[in-house]
Amino acid sequence: MLKWVGAVVALLILLAVIGLSVMAGGIRGAYGMVRYALPHMHRGTLRVGDNAPDASLLALDGSSRFHIRERTGARPLVIVFGSYT
Amino acid sequence: MQIYKDYKDHADFLTVYVREAHPTDEWQMKSNVKEDVCYAQPKTLEQRVAIANDFVKRFNYPTQFGIDDMSNAANDAYAAWPERIYIIEQGRIAYRGGMGPFNYHPEEARTWLAARYGEVKHEASTAPPDKKNN
Repeated sequence: MLKWVGAVVALLILLAVIGLSVMAGGIRGAYGMVRYALPHMHRGTLRVGDNAPDASLLALDGSSRFHIRERTGARPLVIVFGSYT
Repeated sequence: MQIYKDYKDHADFLTVYVREAHPTDEWQMKSNVKEDVCYAQPKTLEQRVAIANDFVKRFNYPTQFGIDDMSNAANDAYAAWPERIYIIEQGRIAYRGGMGPFNYHPEEARTWLAARYGEVKHEASTAPPDKKNN
């Protein structure tokens, strides 16, 4: 019985590794995804209709700051989050 | 950034720089090496500012731009990493995009804007789609 459980667990792990490798473009990518990406990926709890959270941001000049809510006015505000890499 | 060009007269756009997705000291992508976009994960806010400025200069990026603090407050508030789009209207979330990269669909934001302000059509292009042009 224990052998079967072990085999099923091993099979599931193998399938997970294969699935991640396909998504990440290889075994190295799968490791990178598990090690560096998944811990930082969160679906979040915001829903359409919720109050938009505010946060302080630094401007490109590296010294002045502004709040997201300062940029929300009569017009919709499209916020694009991302990085360079 | 075509969506900005098409709807800048109707909506405001704000780009927020958050922690790097594929820095050299974490999960680096071959495509970034090929495109010479190689940065270590910033350890200081000054390093984030420098990378954000490199990005804006390289792409002549037109929108308002903000940089998240090292506490990642904006990222945490919006569950934004690695990339995500929201639309805020009258202080509320009007559109919530999916988490990148697999559920990052800028065309959904375009659809939201098109429903509100009308579709902006472009002549068909033979060029491959460019992530930065959505």
